[in-house]
Amino acid sequence: MVLCLLALPVFAILSIFSIKYKKLTADALECLFKTIQLRKCESGLDDRIKADITGKVLKLSPRLAQFFYNYYKIISWIIMILFIWSMFTSIIGVYNYVQYGNCNGPQSNEFCIFDPTGQNSGVSETEIDTHKELTSPGVEENRTIIGNPDAELTIIEFGCYSCSYTKKAQAVIDEVLAYYQGRVNLQYRTFVLPSYTNSLESALAAACADEQGQFEAYHKRLFDMQTDTTLTFTSIAEELNLDIPAFEQCFAEQRYKEMIEDDTLAAIYAGIEGTPTFFINDQVIVGPKPFKTFQTIIDEELQ
Amino acid sequence: MIFGFNPEKYRKDFPILQQRMIYFDNACMSLKPTQVLDAMHDYYTRYTACGGRSSHTLAKEVETQVAKTRHALKSFIHAKKDEEIVFTRNTTEGINLVANSFGLQKGDHVIISDKEHNSNLVPWLKLKKQKGITLTVVESNADNTFSLENFENAFTKNTKLVSIVHTSNLDGVTNPIKEIAKITHEHGAALLVDGAQSVPSAPTNVQNINADFFCFSGHKMIGPTGTGVLYGKMDRLEKLDQFIVGGETVLDTTYDSFVPEKVPNKFEAGLQDYAGIIGLSEACKYLERVGMNNVEKHEHTLNKAVTERLNNKVTILGPEDPKKRSGIFSFTVKGKDIHHISGILNSSKNIMIRSGTHCVHSWFNKHNMKGSARASMYFYNTEEEANIFCDEVEKIIKI
Repeated sequence: MVLCLLALPVFAILSIFSIKYKKLTADALECLFKTIQLRKCESGLDDRIKADITGKVLKLSPRLAQFFYNYYKIISWIIMILFIWSMFTSIIGVYNYVQYGNCNGPQSNEFCIFDPTGQNSGVSETEIDTHKELTSPGVEENRTIIGNPDAELTIIEFGCYSCSYTKKAQAVIDEVLAYYQGRVNLQYRTFVLPSYTNSLESALAAACADEQGQFEAYHKRLFDMQTDTTLTFTSIAEELNLDIPAFEQCFAEQRYKEMIEDDTLAAIYAGIEGTPTFFINDQVIVGPKPFKTFQTIIDEELQ
Repeated sequence: MIFGFNPEKYRKDFPILQQRMIYFDNACMSLKPTQVLDAMHDYYTRYTACGGRSSHTLAKEVETQVAKTRHALKSFIHAKKDEEIVFTRNTTEGINLVANSFGLQKGDHVIISDKEHNSNLVPWLKLKKQKGITLTVVESNADNTFSLENFENAFTKNTKLVSIVHTSNLDGVTNPIKEIAKITHEHGAALLVDGAQSVPSAPTNVQNINADFFCFSGHKMIGPTGTGVLYGKMDRLEKLDQFIVGGETVLDTTYDSFVPEKVPNKFEAGLQDYAGIIGLSEACKYLERVGMNNVEKHEHTLNKAVTERLNNKVTILGPEDPKKRSGIFSFTVKGKDIHHISGILNSSKNIMIRSGTHCVHSWFNKHNMKGSARASMYFYNTEEEANIFCDEVEKIIKI
C-alpha cells in the first residue's frame, strides 16, 4: 500500500507524458482507495513493485534481496516518510521561490533548484551568517534620504561603496524606489569594511558631496569606481559640478569621519556581518536579493 | 544435441528470441517464426483482397490460400474433410459457437470437468441461467487427474453434450479423451473437446479421438493471434445451427428470409482474418517439420529436468510425474506470493512465466488458493533455460 501512495503522484505526473503510466496511475489510485477502506489492493501494483525491485536487487546480491523482501514494509515506510518530508520541503521551496525569488527563503544564499543559474537567488557573501538575529538601529535623524522624504516607509541600507554586492543591490533598490512611487525611501549608511580599498574614503567623499546637496547622484556614481579605474573622487565631483575646493577641503579634513564611524558602530551593534544589509522596520534582508524579496516585505510593512 | 532434439535448430527462426530473455509463458501465447510472419506480410503486400466474394486475380489468390490452409489444418489434426474445419477467432469462439448452436433446451444436461478454462465454463453457466440447462462438474482425482469413474456417474438420461478440456492449462494434465469419447457416445451424447493446449503440444488425431467437436487456437501453436479452428464431424456441423450470421454465411436473402450457406461457410461470418489464416497454415507446416512427436517429447524432457530439480522445493500442481503434465510446470512456493515469484523472475533474469488463476478461477476458488506460478515450455526452449529458471526459483525460495 505504502508504495502505491508514493507511486500515485509520480505516475500521475508521468501519465501526462506517456499513456503507459495512466494504467499505473489508475492502479495506484485503486490501491489507495482500497487501503482507505481497509481492503486489499486488487491491482497488485504493490506486489509488482516489490517483486520488480527484489528481482533487480537479486541480480546484485541474494542477501540484499532477501533483506529487501523481508523488510519491504519497513523500507516502504521509510521511503514514504522521506517522500512526505521531501514534498513538504518542496512546497515550502516553491512558496519561497514565488514569494522571494529564492526557494531557500529570503535570507538564504544557498543553491535554489528552481533557479540553477543563481541569478534570481540573490546569492551574496557566502561567509555571512544570514540566519543571525539582527536588530534594526532605526532611522537616523538629520541624515540625507534618497527618495521622497515624507515616504511611509524607510529602507535602511548598510553598505560599502567598495563592495560588489552593495553595487549589485543598487539596481534593485532603484527599482524598488521607482515601483513604490514615493511611498518608500532609502537611508544609506556606510559600514566600513577595512579590508576593502577606499571603503572609508568613499564614504567620506559621499558625505562631502552630501554637504553640497548632491548625495544621491554622487552615491550612485561612486559604485562605478569599482569597475572604472579612471574615475576619482574629484572627477566624480567635477562631473556633478560640485565646488571642488570645498569638496577637497571637506575630504582632506575627514569632516564626516566621526559620523561614518558611528554608522559602522551602529552596524556592528545591530549584528551586521556583511554588506549590503537592509532593515525594513524590523525585517532584515542580507545581500543583493531580487525585487520580489523586497516587494514581499515592503508590502507587509506598508499594510 | 542434448536431449536428442536440438531446439537451437529452430530458435534462429524466431526473431523475438534474439532478445535476452527466457520465455516460459507458451501456454498463454507462443512465439512466431519468421515463416509465419512472412506469410502474413506476403498477404498484405502481394494479394490483399477479399476471399469468396470478388472474382479478380487477387481475390482468387486469397481463396486459394484460405483453401490451402483449411486443407493443411485438416491434415494437421487428421480430420476427414477440409469442410470440417471452421475458422474462428480462437478456442473461446469455437466453444461458444457450439454452446449456442447445438440446440440445447431447458432440462438438457451438459457435463464438464472441474478444471475447465473460463471459456469452457462460462458459456454453460450462461445457458444454465438463460435456458435452464443442467450442468454437472466432474471432480478430478486427488492428484488432479481425470476421474473416469466420477465422469461416468455424472451422466443422466438428459445428457446431451460433454465439453471437456483435452490438456489442462492449469497443470498440463492430459485427460483420457478417447475413453471420455467412448463413454460419452455410449450414453448417446456428443463430445466437444477444448484442444487449446493439446494441439500445440502433441500429435492430434480427431478421428482417433472420435470427438464430435474439437476447438483450438492458432496463437498457442506459433500461429497468428485472432485465429482458431472449430473442427466438427460433418454430420454434426450440418445439424449445428448458425451462431454469428451475416456476410458469407448465406446463399441468398429476401426481406423476409435467408438461405444459409453450407458448412463451413455458414459459420464464418463477415470478412475473415485472411492474413492470420494464411499465417496459421505456415504454422502448421512449421510444426509438421519440427514433428509433433518431437515437440511432445521435448516438452516432457524439459518438464522432467525442471521437476527433478524443484520437486521437493516447491509444491507442484497436478501429478508428480512430469510426463503427465506436458510442458506445464505449475507450482507454488510456501511463504511466497505467486505474483512475487513471477515478478522477481522477470526482473532478475527476464524469465517470463505467468502467475494467477490462469482463467481457471473456479478451480482455485474451490481449493481456496490464490493461484499458481506457471512455467510453460515449448519446443524452442532449451535445457540451459530450464536450468537458469531452476537456479532463480531456488534463489527465490531462499529469500
